[in-house]
Amino acid sequence: MSELTTNAQALVPRSATTGEPVTTTARRNRLGIWMCIVSDATGTLALLVAYAYLWSLNVNDAWAPPKDTWADPLPFWLIWVGAVVAALAMWWAVAGIRAGRTSQFITGSILASVVALVTFIGQIVQLSTFPFDITDGAYASTTFWLCIATALHLSVVGFLTSAMIGRFRAGRITREDHSHARFVAMWMTWVCVAVFLGAFFATTMNASPNTNSPTFGTFQE
Amino acid sequence: MTITAVIHEQQAVPQPKQHGKPGGLLRHTNIVTGVVLGLILAVVTYVIGGLLVPWGTENSNFLQVGESALVAATYTAWVIGFMIGIGAFAGPIRWWLGHDLTHADAQYLAGKGQGRGKYWKYTTDHKVVGIQYLVMAMVLLGLGGLLAMLIRTELGVTWAEVFDPNFYNSIIGTHGIVMVIAMIIVVAGPLGNFIMPLMIGARDMAFPRLNALSFWLLFAAVPPLASNLLLGGIRDGWTVYQPLGTQAPVGMVGYQICIITFAFSTGIAGVNLITTIVTMRARGMTWNRVPIFVIGILSAAIMGLVWFPMYQYSQVLALSDFAFGSAFFIPQNGGSVWLYENLFWLLGHPEVYVIVIPATAALMELMVVFLRKPLFSYKIAIAGFAGVVGISSLVWVHHMYMTGWSPAAGYPFMLSTELISIPFGFLVLVMLGTIWRGKVWTRLPMMCVYAMIWNKIVGGITGVYLSDVPVDQYMHGGMFVVAHFHFMLMGAGLFGAMGAIAYWFPKMTGRMLNERIGSIGFWVSFFAFQLTFGSMFVAGLQGQPRRVLQFDNAFDVSNWLSTIGAYAIGIGMLIFLYAVITSWRSNVIAPANPWGAKTLEWQTATPVPLENFPVLPVVTSDPYGYGVPDPYLTIEKQLTDEDQDAMVGAR
Repeated sequence: MSELTTNAQALVPRSATTGEPVTTTARRNRLGIWMCIVSDATGTLALLVAYAYLWSLNVNDAWAPPKDTWADPLPFWLIWVGAVVAALAMWWAVAGIRAGRTSQFITGSILASVVALVTFIGQIVQLSTFPFDITDGAYASTTFWLCIATALHLSVVGFLTSAMIGRFRAGRITREDHSHARFVAMWMTWVCVAVFLGAFFATTMNASPNTNSPTFGTFQE
Repeated sequence: MTITAVIHEQQAVPQPKQHGKPGGLLRHTNIVTGVVLGLILAVVTYVIGGLLVPWGTENSNFLQVGESALVAATYTAWVIGFMIGIGAFAGPIRWWLGHDLTHADAQYLAGKGQGRGKYWKYTTDHKVVGIQYLVMAMVLLGLGGLLAMLIRTELGVTWAEVFDPNFYNSIIGTHGIVMVIAMIIVVAGPLGNFIMPLMIGARDMAFPRLNALSFWLLFAAVPPLASNLLLGGIRDGWTVYQPLGTQAPVGMVGYQICIITFAFSTGIAGVNLITTIVTMRARGMTWNRVPIFVIGILSAAIMGLVWFPMYQYSQVLALSDFAFGSAFFIPQNGGSVWLYENLFWLLGHPEVYVIVIPATAALMELMVVFLRKPLFSYKIAIAGFAGVVGISSLVWVHHMYMTGWSPAAGYPFMLSTELISIPFGFLVLVMLGTIWRGKVWTRLPMMCVYAMIWNKIVGGITGVYLSDVPVDQYMHGGMFVVAHFHFMLMGAGLFGAMGAIAYWFPKMTGRMLNERIGSIGFWVSFFAFQLTFGSMFVAGLQGQPRRVLQFDNAFDVSNWLSTIGAYAIGIGMLIFLYAVITSWRSNVIAPANPWGAKTLEWQTATPVPLENFPVLPVVTSDPYGYGVPDPYLTIEKQLTDEDQDAMVGAR
């Protein structure tokens, strides 16, 4: 091995745990994040299928909430905007650390963290102020669960974005090795998609198209 | 001053600050702290929850939400408490704080210098996790097998009623789901974790801490399931169709919490397996040099990763209905029982392949060793796995022909179900083609190959019948179906697992399996299996329904034979288990490569060192080149000793 090669290898940051180049571990982690997103997407799909299925069937004419008190669409979209702003802030932070602008990274991370927290609180407020209860028909149940899923997604986002600050201060996120920040931003981008889909379903698919709903009985004794 | 560590003979790598002793908090956690904290949190939750939502509270629709919500909260607290107590949250908190693991931390977490205590801790070494999975699979198979004996006792004693009908139904449901979980993990758990990383020339799994997490989540999921029998049981079979699920006793919550937790475990394991296989193969191990067992594990992991969330969400929503009165599956509130069935079977059918594919791939892997010839048509085998993975997501409706859901969908799904027999048939043909004109070295693992081929053919052909809508109209819900899926899941899955464990036993334990006793257990189990489920085919054709306690005298003889066979299976399995345990405890040390196999797991020492290989291997040929002269050996004959020393490093 030439001296030149040895020096070049020495410049590549290495994982403290395994001794591999951090680019190697980053590639591995990136695939892991993608797999997590695929798995989470299937779960989200299950909720959306449940929504669309029950909306289209309108079983026993019990899709709509009492007195057709649908949820206000505005909070759904405000929460989505919050998720998007947080994700954009995180990507901006990643761009900063990539260019060596550490203050941009800190600012972006704090902004993403704060926006995620506010959005999470907004989601909790929306859940607690719906004009119906989770037991009030299929629309109410599916809408509640779409929002619970959003709240869970946002809580994970809050955990991840807030970690960026501590990790930066501990020297774990640098210009040479900022892969974890990029993975957090990737995850937040997926969360934006999931929140959008939930908001789209819950706000555009209200009254069931099936006005001649099937009656299956109650299966009660 | 920068602290460094020399890792794998490379240059010194700078280390983060060491917080306390290596391992940190995890030095003080183990299964005992997990169980204690889990129980404390569960009891506290039960007491406080009981004050907030007393037992007997009804919601506006008069559903008993108090007790089910309380039990759900208690079980959830158990899972969270156990995971805190075992140390699962230490990793995320350290990551959040930026206190990343040092090399010394990682070595401690992998169990370095901890003796047998590492098997009771949150240990990250893939070999430890593999052994933990193996023991867990055997415990679950034992529990499920015991319940099977109780079922057959009830059905064999045709002149009397042994159990209360509700308890009998609970035994059936619990047996079903325990066995499904056991069969999902029995190959992919122990061998996917222990053997696969060795086989691809990796030092560990891609995410060692997630590996430990997946196992301990599974561990935490089992008590809620087992305890359901004390809380009214699961009376609706392992599928727990709605709306029976929402009208069940609170034991149902144990099932739901178990599945939700197990799905997290499976998803995490899937992420880990896929990432490891895709990104951590040794240099030179191109995709056409990957051992077929690794492809099988990859296929199962993909199916599990993609489809398990559907099953998980079916239980999340069912629990929501049961505990909080939502309306997903309650028709009077706008829910649909068909929604449940669709979500359930979207995983429910791929899950069959999640079970059978790893076992099939394991036997393909070992049969080439005992036949000393390459796998017949490796690429057809790959096509078979790919076909099964692809089509498995398009067949779920064949479980719902008789539910009344979209009768018109029956025919396309009949076609897709019959279509999947083509890639599945590829796999059988590859096995038969490999045996063709091979010189068989008949050892216990090879006997399992014959058993699996036979069972798979019987299970596969009867499956083709059942995929036909007209035949299914007569057969569904009957003993014929029960016999069919036992031939697939147990006949192919479990006998495959027995062969795989017998084959890799020397590498996993460092001991040779006592093949004389093991073979006795195997053959007793095999012939008893044919008697049990062959008779069940007859009972099914006669018209005996499943999950029924009392039946017409016309079915007596079939049931007597099935019960005798089932007891004999139990005896055979106990003999096999005896062989496993006594061999494991014996002093007969296994050589590093007792079968003379060419794959990488056999090229390292036994017992396998902590980081598997002193130097990562470089692959220069496909794993099945039996009979092909090794170019290195040819060259080595012409080289001096110094040259050969240099080549050892190169290889």
